[in-house]
This record gives sequence, C-alpha cells and structure tokens, in this order.
Amino acid sequence: MMKISTDEIKLITKYIYDASGIYLDESKKYLLETRLNVLVQEHGCATYLEFLQKAKVDASKTIERKIIDAISTNETLFFRDTGPFQLLQHKIFPELIDARSPRMAGMKTPLKIWSAASSTGQELYSVAIVLQELLGDLSKYTVKLLGTDISDAALAQASSGKYNKFEIERGLPRDKLARYFTSSGQTWKVNDHLRSMVNFRKLNLMQSFTGLGKFDVVLCRNVAIYFTLEDRKKLFNRIADVLEPDGYLLIGSTESLTGICARFIPKRHLRSIFYQLK
Amino acid sequence: MKTMTILVADDDPVIRKLFEKRLHREGYEVSVAADGVEAARMLDKEHYDVVITDLVMPGDIGGIELLNIAKEKDLGIEVIVITAHSSVDTAVDAMKKGAVDYLEKPVNFEELFLRLEKIWEVKSLLKNAGDLREAMDVTETSAAQTIQDLEMLNNGLQGKLERIEAILNDLRLDEYSRIEQALQVIESR
Repeated sequence: MMKISTDEIKLITKYIYDASGIYLDESKKYLLETRLNVLVQEHGCATYLEFLQKAKVDASKTIERKIIDAISTNETLFFRDTGPFQLLQHKIFPELIDARSPRMAGMKTPLKIWSAASSTGQELYSVAIVLQELLGDLSKYTVKLLGTDISDAALAQASSGKYNKFEIERGLPRDKLARYFTSSGQTWKVNDHLRSMVNFRKLNLMQSFTGLGKFDVVLCRNVAIYFTLEDRKKLFNRIADVLEPDGYLLIGSTESLTGICARFIPKRHLRSIFYQLK
Repeated sequence: MKTMTILVADDDPVIRKLFEKRLHREGYEVSVAADGVEAARMLDKEHYDVVITDLVMPGDIGGIELLNIAKEKDLGIEVIVITAHSSVDTAVDAMKKGAVDYLEKPVNFEELFLRLEKIWEVKSLLKNAGDLREAMDVTETSAAQTIQDLEMLNNGLQGKLERIEAILNDLRLDEYSRIEQALQVIESR
C-alpha cells in the first residue's frame, strides 16, 4: 500500500475537514491510507499529494465526492442498539401523538422526524418500521421522515432501499424482515410502502439547515464524534434551532452533550437518555 | 482445523456413500439424507454449516426447495448444488436464489474441497468479525451506561449550582440564612 507522508496527512486532513467537517489528525494515518489508496491509484496518481492537487482542480467535484464517500464511516445497523427504538416506541411517539393530535376531526396528526446522518438508511427505515407497527393505519397522520447524509454513495443505497445478506442479518428481527422486505436472491429490498414514507437528501451538517423546517424528533447519533469540539457546539446549537419546543433529540449511546450545548436537558427513560430543550 | 458440519442430500446411494467417505476422510463431519424431505427434517433438528444437495431428487422437496428451507432457517448456511451438465441454467438460478456455488456431475472432489476451504475461510472471517462486534457491543453498552450516569449526575449538579448561586445572590436574605439555605441545597439529594 502506498505510504502517506506527514506533510501529505496535514494537507489531506485539512482538505477533508473543509469539505465535510470530518476532523482527522495525524493518528488517523492508517485510516487515510486504507481508504484513499485505491482512489489514488484509480486516478493514476503517484502520490497522495498529486491526487490532492487533482481533487482541488476538479470542477465537477467528482473526486471530492469520492473522497467523502471513502472517508465517511458507514457503519450502521437496523435497530442499532435497541434503546432509542424502544424509547421511540414506548415514550416519544405516544407522547408526541398525544400532543400533536388535532382538536378537530378530519385533520391529520403531523409527525416530522429527521435522521441527521442517515448513512445507508437503516436508522430511518427502522424508525419507519417502529411508526408503522405502532400506528398501524397511517392515513390519520402526515408523517415526514427525512434522512440526510454527506456521502452520495450512502444516500444512493439508502434511497434504493437495497441491502445485502450481511446488512440485514445484523439487527433486523426475522418477523420484520419478512414483513417489510422482499428478497431477490442475495439482495433484500425495502417494500415500496415503507420506502414511500422516507426521503433522503444530501446535507453537510456544517452548513445551514435553512429550508429543513422544524422537527418533532431529531436523531443525530454517532456522527458528531467525527467533528471538533467547536463544530459539535455549533451543530447541536443549530439542531436546537430546528427542534420543536417540545421536540426530542436522540444522540449516540456513548455521546454526551455536557460542555457542548446547554440548551438541552437530558432525561432518562428506561435505560436510555433523550434530550429536550430547556 | 476443519470443524464444519456438512449435510449431503442425494437420492443415489452410491454417490451418497462416496460423499460421506471422501468428506469424512478430509476431516469434515458429514451427515447424509436420501432425499429432500429427509434433509429438511434433519435441518430442522440440527445445525449444519454447509448443505450439498442434488438439484433433482424424488419427492416434494428438490434441491431448490431445500435451498430455500436452509436459507429460511439460517442465512449463514451455505448451500452447494450438484447438477447434471445439461441443467447448468437451473444451477445458475439456484445461485441467484442464494446458493454459494454449484458443481457439475460427476463431482470432482478436489474441486469440492477447494470450495469448502473457501467457505470455511469466509466463515472464520465472519466469526472473527462477529466476535469483535460482540466485544465492541459489550464495551459500548458499558461505556454508554457510565456516560448516561455522568450526564444525569452532571445535570443534577448543574441545577444545584444554579439554585445555590441564586440563593447566595439573594440580597433580601441575611448572610447567615443564605449560607444555611445554600447548605440545604448541597445536602439535598
């Protein structure tokens, strides 16, 4: 594998940071090499520096997209740790439905959920499954499930709703697999109904959230860990701006908002924590 | 170290015996079934790592049906189908349905052993990845619990601090009462 020099690391990590907000330091040498090596060779470059120059002058931003696809970690599961999904099912959704149910007959209950780093879509589809099972008939609701991610490759897979055997084997209970997926050989595809409930679009979390609207639930799990402390502060502050006053924020199970955003207070239910605005 | 368990389904007793002997000699644990129905029954009772099945067998359960049953039971069961040269299309169809490989009759055992080696390698890697994932899950769960406790504790202390600050700044009270009230907040749970 092609080795990366200390100077190249500095330049490439800065480039990645500027493009995505993902912060890597010198200790991530190995990660950079394993993930970028193929791209460097694919573009016929002799060094990482040459590859970087090529990426910078590429007006189509194709190389930048490929770098982000390669660097962004797409480790995700259906129902990745059960805690948040039990929270949604037993606490958050029931409370929201109570709070949002319209006073007048014939009006629909609005529910807006945002998976801020949706990766290949498993989290958002899992939320959709929870909603579907909890509510049954969705005709009385206006459900908006939005997934955003910075990686085009991840978004493409999320939108297609297609998963391989390893992706569905982990985390997805058998009954749910049978109910919400159709298999064709080695590929499992999310049913059209479930797919019609969700929407995926590209978003860099470092950039403005204008136009997204407000949300009842925001899931921002295991993504801020790749950002600097300063950027985390900004991110959760902007998430607070797009959360309904009585909305809910879920972060990763090993993440914390202590010292990051004082606008949220943690609340514990069952064995999980969720956050609400003060 | 080959510890894979293999189920062979073939209605030809001679071929069945041959499979049993050769695979056993190679170090695998082999069970045999005379048709799809018997194989399905065995799959129901016991776990097998690999199923080797003839595509065409008498009875209600042929090779494709057995493949479906195995995959239904556990996606991790790898299925190799045995086919006559004339029905390669069916074998390709079986692979689309999840079979890992197909072999043409007459079976070349050296070839079969190579494929089994490959399957074993992949299974070992997957097991390794699974073990790592499990270890990571344990660590993550434990870390999550600690972080949750700290988060709640910090939030409680933060609230106390704010209350103490308000009390100490409350100039309507004399100093003694302020200190007394602040102490009460500190001692409260």
